[in-house]
Amino acid sequence: MKPHILLLSTILLLLTGCALERQGLLPELTPAAEMNKKSRCAAVFPVGKWQFVHAIDFTMGNGAGTGLIGVTSLNGNDIECALITVEGLTLFEAALSEDNDLKIRRSVPPFDNLRFAEGLMHDLQTLFLPPSAKHVKSGLTHGTNEVCRYIDSNGKVTDILPELDNCWQINIYNSNMTLNRSITGRSCKDQGAGRIPGYLELNSYGTNRYKLKMTLIRADKI
Amino acid sequence: MRLPTLLIGICLIILIPVSGFSTTSRDQEPVHSVQADFVQEKHLQILNRPIISTGTFAFQGPGSLRWEYLTPIPSILLLHNGNIRKFVKKDGNLREDRGIGLDAMQLMLGEISNWLVGRFTDNDIFTTSFPDKQTIILKPRGKSLAGLISKIELKPSEQKGVLDSVTIFEGSDSYTRMTFSNTVINKNIPDALFTGK
Repeated sequence: MKPHILLLSTILLLLTGCALERQGLLPELTPAAEMNKKSRCAAVFPVGKWQFVHAIDFTMGNGAGTGLIGVTSLNGNDIECALITVEGLTLFEAALSEDNDLKIRRSVPPFDNLRFAEGLMHDLQTLFLPPSAKHVKSGLTHGTNEVCRYIDSNGKVTDILPELDNCWQINIYNSNMTLNRSITGRSCKDQGAGRIPGYLELNSYGTNRYKLKMTLIRADKI
Repeated sequence: MRLPTLLIGICLIILIPVSGFSTTSRDQEPVHSVQADFVQEKHLQILNRPIISTGTFAFQGPGSLRWEYLTPIPSILLLHNGNIRKFVKKDGNLREDRGIGLDAMQLMLGEISNWLVGRFTDNDIFTTSFPDKQTIILKPRGKSLAGLISKIELKPSEQKGVLDSVTIFEGSDSYTRMTFSNTVINKNIPDALFTGK
């Protein structure tokens, strides 16, 4: 196996290490008293121009792993990002425009892989941009959790729980109603119109399972 | 060049303070150890303002190193007696990162040995130039490394055996600058500093 393929495999392992929770099913949505859910759900996503710097933790199943610094810049629906080693080396830098035009500015092996780039930018879209689905329901899941439910034309469902453990959670279900991704924010702080988590955890389920832990280093409103 | 090699190289380049001035002062006491604090600024086009990291390092010849980041992500790289270990703080604890190979360390220690005796030009990895008395420029020889780093700029201090800063350029608008302070030279450092967290 070539070294760069081995390294890529290692990264994929890093991304697939830990999150082996049971894959959930879409919970039933029950009616709730009318509340200002839409604005509360909207507050999950930053509005305008922001820059976030996170400490990112990848961990393999055997406990080995590495730490990186992640930079995410938002300008409306345009996203720029960079992955930087603790020592300051830029491993990956890319931009994704609102019309999904991906431009990779720098990619160092094992990050010089289009699939990795597309997956990373998709994760960032999920983390920082509201769902594009126009069909939105609201109600309660499990009897207590307020939810905004976005259903797109392909049947993908995005549940936004704007109030969960003093922060928020986003759950994304495939068209077969199984949980595909879950993002949990913790230690939220109100900043402007948004609620910025001090800690984010992204779990991806299905055949390509992985977990990302992101600790906020700083959030700049630009 | 493998990525871990480069990462170690970046750390160890900072040890050039040990060597940078031995080229100009033969009567100077040889430098066998260096300790210093550092501030690292990461500049990148998309960054609104640089990312600031802080840390300390200790080097003792012939090949013992402790390179420690205190913020924003605590981590420690240890080299001693041919062994290399790296620890990164996760979930509140420093955990060992086993992803770095011994081959990388051996390669870079070879480089350090050259720098310690001032042989900047006898280097398979970098070409060296001295545009002025205050600057040493290292440029990668190989295409693979040149794809990652365009050049490294060393700025000597007025104090012999000490560098003010090291700047690693990836491109015109992307660079990492490390500035040193509280440098201590030739103080004996216990081995324990190079073996434990």
